[in-house]
Amino acid sequence: MMNRPTPEEKEQWERDGYLVFENAIQGEQLKRLQTAFDFWADECKEEWLERVETADAAATFYDIPNPLEKDTIFIDIIDHPSYYGALMEFTDDDVILLGPQVRTVAPWPVSYTGWHPDVGKDNPIHIKVQIYVNDVPKGGGEFGFVPGSHRHGSGPYKRPLLQESMPGHKSFPGKAGTAIMFNSCGWHTSMDNSSDTPRKSIILIYEKRTPGRVGPTQFASIAEHCNTPARRKIFSLDALSH
Amino acid sequence: MPVIDAHVHVFTTVSDEFPREVSSNTPADRDESAEKLLGLMKETGVDQAVLVQIGGRTIEQHSYLLHCLKTYPDRFLGIGLVPQDHPNPEEHMTELAEGTGIIGFRLFDLGGPRDIFETKDVTEFSTYPIWKCAAEKDYVMWVYPRSIDAHLLPFLVQEFPQVRVVLNHLGMTPGKGKFTQDELGRPQIQIGGYNLNMHTTFRLARYENVTVHLSGQYAFSKEPYPYKNLAGMHSNLFNDFGSKRVMWATDFPWILEEPGYGELTTIIEKLMPHIRQSELEDIMGGNAKRFLRFPDLNS
Repeated sequence: MMNRPTPEEKEQWERDGYLVFENAIQGEQLKRLQTAFDFWADECKEEWLERVETADAAATFYDIPNPLEKDTIFIDIIDHPSYYGALMEFTDDDVILLGPQVRTVAPWPVSYTGWHPDVGKDNPIHIKVQIYVNDVPKGGGEFGFVPGSHRHGSGPYKRPLLQESMPGHKSFPGKAGTAIMFNSCGWHTSMDNSSDTPRKSIILIYEKRTPGRVGPTQFASIAEHCNTPARRKIFSLDALSH
Repeated sequence: MPVIDAHVHVFTTVSDEFPREVSSNTPADRDESAEKLLGLMKETGVDQAVLVQIGGRTIEQHSYLLHCLKTYPDRFLGIGLVPQDHPNPEEHMTELAEGTGIIGFRLFDLGGPRDIFETKDVTEFSTYPIWKCAAEKDYVMWVYPRSIDAHLLPFLVQEFPQVRVVLNHLGMTPGKGKFTQDELGRPQIQIGGYNLNMHTTFRLARYENVTVHLSGQYAFSKEPYPYKNLAGMHSNLFNDFGSKRVMWATDFPWILEEPGYGELTTIIEKLMPHIRQSELEDIMGGNAKRFLRFPDLNS
């Protein structure tokens, strides 16, 4: 099942470069996601610290490695009906997953990242969906975006010294289960997390399919959980889909 | 505007007068004297330099550094070392810095929890007394943290906003087991393709009392001089910290044979050809003079 965006949502996407889906994940599914997140974050933490020590990982956040292989809930959110229709709409029905980041960000005096776009404006449309796994208040490392910064002719933008000094930005505190979809050629960041609570979120990275971008082996390890043509397509599992 | 080399090491052959530790790249008979450095500086138009202690942390092991600072007071400023777990670091720091030309101290370990998720009480960090002393006596902190410690820096910088901080060598934070030497005896540090420091030390750009060295390229790059693969990193640091908070340095003597001292005096122009002449002059010495308070040259 897929919910296509309304005309208003399509207009907002074109104009601002983002959409917010409140309660995108909810109820038992949200609990399942939170439980799996906490379990695997705890399991993988020591290994992450060892990688920090050898300078193979940054000290200010960490991602659960290979999450799709760890719990099927991480697969189920890739094509979740709350936002799958919008992903399809904005990629001309040809979306592929590039990868997930199941990420915990520590409270720190400074945000772990500055304002930036991920790709240039001529890149095939590149979309991220950030899902809050816990409640993320203002000042808790919430997502920040400059509406309209994805459009050709916008900017130029410069990284300010303070996150909150970015002209025209909007920050997105939200409840657990909120999903924020944005065009990642727009300028975005994680605002400072000056709370005492780590920010837990999942960042899903998608793109409109281009030949050879993702090979059929990249997600082969989860092929047994991909039983519909649509799901096999988003995970680029079929050579034919290239 | 003076040209100032903001990070070099000098040492001489081991003697009773100038005792020091030895290592594979600083054997007892190796002599990389201040006079040798001054000769190269004269040839290449460099006016002044920061001498960074090497060869031990005790007062006695600083003898050669103190000798050079006393002999050439308008040419050099110095950075000292503090013994780990010194019972009274303030006493050590004051003895070394009082009227000697030593303006600050270098740290590698910051002495806090390795896990960023642990609650931080900065007063519990083992280096807290060193930072406190620096704040009280206006010393500069010269920081080259290990990767596992990089996340601790903002807590200290925030606690001591009056302390001037210089991040060494592109703000890099070497990882355990990633430090080797090449056939020329130069330090070599393995870094990943994805620059993790963007998420740690680079984030300190928001603090105006923090500056960063544009130096050490030879140790991080696998390419020959001018290390073009590091051009983007230089631009990022320049953009984030601004033209007034980045400082050029050579890391003499490790670069003597390859690429050579003279080559390194033009590395900023080669890696950052887009910057203005006034910005280049700031990076090549103006910023060091202002931030480190170098004396005017007598001649």
